[in-house]
Parts: sequence; C-alpha cells; structure tokens
Amino acid sequence: MSNLAELVRAALAPDAETAIAMARADELRKLALTSGVDVVGIAPVERWDEFVPPGARPYDILPGAKSVVVVGVRGPSAGAWQSPDHRLIEMNGYDFANDRVIHLVADHIEQEYGYQAIQAPGLPVGGHQPAFSMMLAAVLAGLGTRSFAANIILNPQYGLLYYSACLTTLTLPVDPMLEQDVCPAPMCVQVYKAGGRTPCQAACPSDDGGCLHGTIGPDNRIESTYYDRERCVSRAMNFGINSFQKALEQIANEDDDERRRMMIHSDFFTRSASAIAFYKESVAQCFECMRVCPIGRAERKLK
Amino acid sequence: MSAADLDLMEAHKRELGELAKKAGALVSGVADANAFTAAMEGQRPGELLPGCKTVFVLGGAQPRAGDWASPSYRHMETTSTSDRVTAMGNRIAQHIERRFGYYAVTIPPGVDRARRPFLNIALAAELAGCGSPSLAGPVLHPQFGFMYYTAVLTTLPLPVDAPLSTPACPAPECVSMWDELGTTPCMATCPIDDGGCLGGKLEGGRVKERRYDVARCTTRVQTSFIPGFQKALEAVFDEPEKEKRKMILYSSQFTRTLWSMSYSNVSQGQCFECMRVCPVGSTQRNLL
Repeated sequence: MSNLAELVRAALAPDAETAIAMARADELRKLALTSGVDVVGIAPVERWDEFVPPGARPYDILPGAKSVVVVGVRGPSAGAWQSPDHRLIEMNGYDFANDRVIHLVADHIEQEYGYQAIQAPGLPVGGHQPAFSMMLAAVLAGLGTRSFAANIILNPQYGLLYYSACLTTLTLPVDPMLEQDVCPAPMCVQVYKAGGRTPCQAACPSDDGGCLHGTIGPDNRIESTYYDRERCVSRAMNFGINSFQKALEQIANEDDDERRRMMIHSDFFTRSASAIAFYKESVAQCFECMRVCPIGRAERKLK
Repeated sequence: MSAADLDLMEAHKRELGELAKKAGALVSGVADANAFTAAMEGQRPGELLPGCKTVFVLGGAQPRAGDWASPSYRHMETTSTSDRVTAMGNRIAQHIERRFGYYAVTIPPGVDRARRPFLNIALAAELAGCGSPSLAGPVLHPQFGFMYYTAVLTTLPLPVDAPLSTPACPAPECVSMWDELGTTPCMATCPIDDGGCLGGKLEGGRVKERRYDVARCTTRVQTSFIPGFQKALEAVFDEPEKEKRKMILYSSQFTRTLWSMSYSNVSQGQCFECMRVCPVGSTQRNLL
C-alpha cells in the first residue's frame, strides 16, 4: 500500500526543476501585481516565430532569451473617463507604471535568480516602428486579443491596458493564449446585426471621416477589419512629436516675421512643445473608440 | 448622516492620510469641492469631475536640506520638481477607486488651454488647510515652508479641513524686519521697484497688500523651459545670417533649453531666491 502511495506521489509530483520554475513564476506574478500592475502573462519566445521576421524576435534582442514576461496596467482612472474636460484624460492616461514594474521584474530575475533580463524596447527607434511590439507580446502572453478599435489589444476584464515586457534567459512556465476573442463583445455583435456597425465603428466610421470599419462573420467573430492609421494619428496625436514637427515645418516656411512670431508663441505650438516636455502626460488625445467599448466598462463604473 | 457614516468617512480619511505619508507626502488635507468659489469657470472641481464631493490635497517632494545647502544654484534647478508629488497623487487616486469604489482623478501638473492650469492647486492647498498664500507667491506650510502640491478630485465624501486660522506668512522674523526696514526677506531679495518681482505691505503683522510681476518672474524662473525654447526659436528664425543662426542653435542656452524640455521633470523652475531667504520652514533645512 505504501509502495503504491509513493508511486502515485512520484507520478504526480513535478520534478524539482519544474517546481522551482513554477515557484519563480508565482513569485514574479506576485511581485508585479503588488507593485501596481493589473495583469501578468508569460510567453515562450518560440511563439514569436510565427508572427515576426528573423531579426525582430525576442532572442534577437536578448541572445538566449527563453521567456517573455508581459505586464499590463489600466491607463486613465475611472474618474478621468468621467471628466467632461477631454484634456484631463489626455494628461492622466499614462504614468509609466507598467515600465516601472517591468524594471522591478527584470531586477528581480537578475538579482535573485541570476538570469539575464531586460526591458523589451517599446519606443520607435526607426521611423514610427517600435523594435518590439507590445501589442503582439500581450496577445502571445494570453492577456488579450486584437479589436476592431484601431487593433487595440483588449483584455477580457479591463479592456484597454498599457503593456510592457521583460525578455529573459530564464525558462518559466507559460500561460496559454486566449482561446476566445475578446472583441467583438456579445453586445457589439447585436449592435452590428441591427445597424451594421459596432459601437467603435459608429463612433469613428471610416466612410464618414473616421478611422474604423470592419465586418463580423456568421460565427460572430471578426471577419475583416480596416483601420486608417494616418487619419487616427492626426486625431489621437494632436499634441506631441508629430504636431511639433508639423508646426515647426510651418514656422520654418513662414516668411512673414510677425506671423512667424505669432505661430511660435501660439497656444497650439505651446501645447505641442508642452506635450513633448510632459511627454508621459499627453501621449494620446483621442479615446473615443475606447469610450464606447463595452469591454472593461464594469471596471470603470464606480460610485 | 448617521454616526456610522461619519466614522466611515473619518476612517477613509485616516487611511488616505497614512497612505499619503507612506508615499512620501509631508502633509495632506481635504477641501470641500463646493468651496472653490474663487476659482475661474471651468476650473471648479465639479466641472472637472461631475459629482465631485471632495478634493484630497497632498504636499511634499520639497527640495531637500542638502539641495538648499548646495553652492551650485544650477543643482536646485535639476532636482526640484512637481513630478514626485504627482506620482503620490496617482497612488491616492488609484487607492480611492480600487479600495473604496469611488471616482478619483489626479490633477495633472501641466497647463490646459492658454497656459492655464486645470485647477488652481494653490487654492486647493489653502482650502484644505495644507498651507497659506505668501508674499512671495508659493503656498507655505507653517512647519515645512515651501513644497509642491497635488490635488485629487473624488466623489468620495470625506470630512473636510478648514483653511489655516493663522497664515504661515509673514513669519515673526519678517514682521520684525518690516517694522525695522520696511521690507521682508523675499521682497528685499527681489524688489519689484528695483527690477524684481515682489512688493507689498504688512500691517498689524499680516499681509495688507501684495504686488507680484508674474511676467518678470517667468523670465527668471523659466529661462530654459518651454518659454525659453520659444524665445530662442524666435531668435533663430529672425537671424538672417547662417553662421550666427548656427551659433544660436548650438549655444549653451539653447542646449540647456532642450535638455530641460526633454527632461522636463528635472528642470521646470530655475529661480528659488525668494524661497531661499524665507524663514518659514527654514528649521527643516538646518541639518548636520
């Protein structure tokens, strides 16, 4: 009898290496969640092979990388979504909590476990292309799926989140990717069937000056999407690097001294310069497709 | 409102005060959202957050004693900012929403349209009893003197604090100086009638009149921030000579301007002289 029990225990017990890896994954999750992020997911680097060309995979950025830890945080507070002053949500949208926490995760991996860990590069380093897609990382780590709304990755519980990722040579147990699409929500399917548009498409229709279009198939899943990125940039980034460059071009091309002076000291140029200086407080200025999105709305409904 | 409700409100306020302290705040207080009658239209709490009941104010992130002691005045420019206190505000807002389930929004430190702040944070600090206005301009706390403030608007009802019954400014030392010399330390260091920004009168140990040249102050406090950048850019485009234009673009002044903009959190203000001579809170700066 005791022999049988031992055999069963041995069969059920994970090997020591797996147990250590699982304990580390739990520890990292706990560290990240208690440090301020809302979700944590872990993906194996091989998942990138299918989607990303050679040269841009995690192990191309960190040689020997085995796992990618992805964290996500809610952006604007529920109070900011309530404010009738849209500028308040622009400037409260992002406080870099995800970046701060991913550094804690990377530090913990290097200092406690002795494996290499780096923050995955999130900002564009050539043109407008980031070196590493946080959107893809979030999908591959099982934290969300793409949506009709500008391809924004929606988390089933929170909707819009901001993501950061840590590449590491540490092998960790991984999370499954989501099996069910977050978008379209059942409510959006109904709205689409009744009016031919989802709430986000209705808020910003590409055939009426907006950015979004798409179709839902008979299986109630996304069949096709269209996103006018250029048009979206002109709205979502009124103030920031793009508008600064545009305004500077106009200023440089203005021959009339008096008009040039007016342009330099205008409210628009001041806000553009301010958006660069206070970069983290005004990354984007349009949240309308997300405002009408039902995913995560329950989390924004407070007293 | 029942006694249990009042107890709960007190408990919430206590919890937020403790969290603020843990996050690094020196002081915190609560202002009634309806008390902002002196604020401009569009800048009242209820107009920024519908249903706003209270404004939780935090103060701190002040220059450290070592910062004040540094003989390099440039050092102070690059270390004293509103960034740290805003991060504290975000923590409070997050706590209110996630723990108590009420709406909360932190007032950003930047400006809204036409260089106007979203909310007059100095007024919020005053109404929450976290300090009082001074002759020099900044809100001063009686014990800690100059510090940075942030405000969190919320629909959470909290017991409100009253403005200070005795203003922190003028300090007794300043009243004595006024009686003897007809000026105060801050006015003497930056006299409005002699190229400076500050003027005023004391009467009965209180501020009777205050004069402040905001435009002149801006040219000194923000020599290398956004206004400095715009001024330099204007000079660049007005300069017809190619070589001179290049000199302006690569000058120390323009380089500093770009540094202070891109690292905005490290160089928003460049003059602290009125606060350097202020006796309010100066004991906090006397360390070994």
